[in-house]
Amino acid sequence: MNPLRHTFINRCQTTTPRPKEYPALPDKLRYLDIGCGGGIFAESAARLPNTLSVTAIDPTPEVLKIAEGHRRRDPKLIEEGRLTYLNTSIEGLPVPSQETEKYDIVTLFEVLEHVNAPRPFLESILPHVKPGGWLVLSTIARTWTSWVVTNVMAEDVLGIVPKGTHEWRKYVNEQELRDWFGKREGWGGVGAVKAMGVVYVPALGWKEVPGGEGWGNYFFAVRKDF
Amino acid sequence: MPPRLRLIALRQFPTRPALQFRIQLQRRFTSSSAAPPEIYDVACVGGGPAGLSLLTGLRNSKITSGLKVALIEGQDLHKNRLPKHASLDGFSNRCSSLTPASVKNLEEIGAWSHASRPRIQPYQEMQPTTIAYMIENTNITTTLLSRLSELGGVDIFSPQKVDSISLGTETPSLDLSSWPIIALSSGKTLAARLLVGADGANSPVRTFAGIPSRGFDYNRHGVVASLKLSGPGWGGPDHKIAYQRFLPTGPIAMLPLPGNSASLVWSTTPERAAVLKSLPEHDFVAMVNAGFRLSVTDLEHLHTMPSGQVEEVAWREKATPIDARSIPQPVTAVQSGTVASFPLKLRHADTYTGERVALVGDAAHTIHPLAGQGLNQGQGDAAALVSTIEQAVLTGQDIGSVLALEGYNSERYAANNAMLGVCDKLHRLYSVESGPVVGLRSWGLKAVDAMGPLKGFFMSRAAGGA
Ligand SMILES: Cc1cc2nc3c(=O)[nH]c(=O)nc-3n(C[C@H](O)[C@H](O)[C@H](O)COP(=O)(O)OP(=O)(O)OC[C@H]3O[C@@H](n4cnc5c(N)ncnc54)[C@H](O)[C@@H]3O)c2cc1C
Ligand SMILES: C[S@@+](CC[C@H](N)C(=O)[O-])C[C@H]1O[C@@H](n2cnc3c(N)ncnc32)[C@H](O)[C@@H]1O
Repeated sequence: MNPLRHTFINRCQTTTPRPKEYPALPDKLRYLDIGCGGGIFAESAARLPNTLSVTAIDPTPEVLKIAEGHRRRDPKLIEEGRLTYLNTSIEGLPVPSQETEKYDIVTLFEVLEHVNAPRPFLESILPHVKPGGWLVLSTIARTWTSWVVTNVMAEDVLGIVPKGTHEWRKYVNEQELRDWFGKREGWGGVGAVKAMGVVYVPALGWKEVPGGEGWGNYFFAVRKDF
Repeated sequence: MPPRLRLIALRQFPTRPALQFRIQLQRRFTSSSAAPPEIYDVACVGGGPAGLSLLTGLRNSKITSGLKVALIEGQDLHKNRLPKHASLDGFSNRCSSLTPASVKNLEEIGAWSHASRPRIQPYQEMQPTTIAYMIENTNITTTLLSRLSELGGVDIFSPQKVDSISLGTETPSLDLSSWPIIALSSGKTLAARLLVGADGANSPVRTFAGIPSRGFDYNRHGVVASLKLSGPGWGGPDHKIAYQRFLPTGPIAMLPLPGNSASLVWSTTPERAAVLKSLPEHDFVAMVNAGFRLSVTDLEHLHTMPSGQVEEVAWREKATPIDARSIPQPVTAVQSGTVASFPLKLRHADTYTGERVALVGDAAHTIHPLAGQGLNQGQGDAAALVSTIEQAVLTGQDIGSVLALEGYNSERYAANNAMLGVCDKLHRLYSVESGPVVGLRSWGLKAVDAMGPLKGFFMSRAAGGA
């Protein structure tokens, strides 16, 4: 799953038209990874050559401890400022006062489906994104297929996640996100809204499926206008 | 700023965090008075054709050029270089047949233009297309070294042997317990995010990783020599032909080099190899001529003679009808000091990757030389590992992790295994039957011809795979 996240972020940045005043992508990117868990994505983002810094946050102390422990295995990641873990929820993270201290890429992977009130949760994220920066998330759609996958396959048959991890009713659909951002001033202008459906293929791992955002796991991204 | 610039800058003017890191390590090591290991993204042990091709590929790629890389080679890389204006009268006895696929890869990494072209001999079958290029191994390694010094950015430790490889240690701030620490004969130590074993058939890296390598010895030696023929070949200097004859003891092959030169690879029993090596030069020459001309029974007798082969071969040749134009032109001389032999074996490592370890070239597989594929397989490995590492860098993976390396193993293992199996079968097929007394147009390929569908296998490997 993790390499696909980078593929998607890359695609968002390189295939979306940019305004004439800002022709080039920034040389160095600042990342904020919300709900970083064990830090798989945060570590990989911190290793990229065009990354300035990664701030990774999670309110659960146990997972953050695991992430901190794993980071010590890579001398590159302990370079000062490259990867910072903070034990906080996004609601508790102060919004930077300077635009330059905001983030070029704000990520929210496999978190939205665990949140009770997605709208206010998303609201609290938006101020952290730089103008021209992206909010990138992955989650699972609320459809009959995902119901079967979540309630029967994943938990009982495949045993991928422990029972009770997911509550199907909390899932948010891609169309709902599209509509919500569509109504919002200053987001997703000039077609800067992207999605990509993915499916788990046993023995092959996660693969992209065109149109999959309509019925299963998907990535969604929206750019804050410049 | 491009990643390469940034890394160089970092190394020249360490930023504060890097310094802090140094100091911490130093403190830990002061009691044992050893210097801390220097941290590398890729440490490659072995500067043969496979290792040099890998490093050149990594330095040549924009994506991987930000990695900090080291090369450790036991021999003096500088001393082994081919002199710039080396005479075309003499050739090294270690030559290889490079497939077009290998040449294409060398072109892609910007190395081929550095090769000494007058020393390379393309050869054809009956059609005008080139099947492969005969080239001295030192020409390949010199070519790669020239390209590498043009690219710069590799810390080269040569001549320096790897003394030991062990796992690193854990401190509260840094846990190197999964990192190989390479101790050099000079006392210096290197920590490797990815340790590449390009260290040949007896790979110390493979031993460190605990990867078993299975196979068997053929109980055959490959006798090599640099020869002079009576002419440039039946097709003239622009249409060169490689010959191979299968004998019950193994194939004898004559590979064309520029001018009247040629390279011999004669697979035979260790006893006969010893006889061949002990002969006076003119008798050795007679034996090679006999190898392409006389019957199996004649050859058997000739190997029992301590000397005098010249007269004996001349006499027996009169009684043997031969079509001169279907076999190589007669050998007239052997270059002094070039008769040598190597034991032949088939080996295949159980896997090419482990935690923070990857094997390329002969460290991963050793093949019978009858189809001239060994070195080419190593070139294919190097190219595949470069693209696997590129993929990992692009997605921020730890390039030493088993997950990141998986693609390399699955891409190369099956392909190499198929090639090993086919060459082994060819060897077996012809060791039980007595070989046809005909010259062969190209190394290995005529024998492949006889096996029908397998020819397609070799031709496709030669052109695109390998
Ligand atoms: C008789 C014969 C004929 C052949 N003909 C052909 C042919 O026509 N075509 C073909 O494609 N292949 C041919 N081959 C095979 C080919 O020569 C090998 O496959 C090729 O050289 C392997 O390259 P490599 O880089 O993997 O290993 P090597 O060339 O063996 O290089 C390994 C390097 O590692 C170094 N090293 C080892 N241990 C240490 C250590 N502890 N510390 C530091 N350095 C170390 C060694 O010094 C060496 O330089 C032939 C082989 C033989 C025996
Ligand atoms: C399923 S995990 C995903 C971990 C990681 N992103 C991944 O994909 O591997 C969801 C994480 O979201 C975190 N989380 C839940 N609510 C959060 C909030 N309000 N702010 C930040 N993180 C939150 C949880 O602590 C949990 O670690």
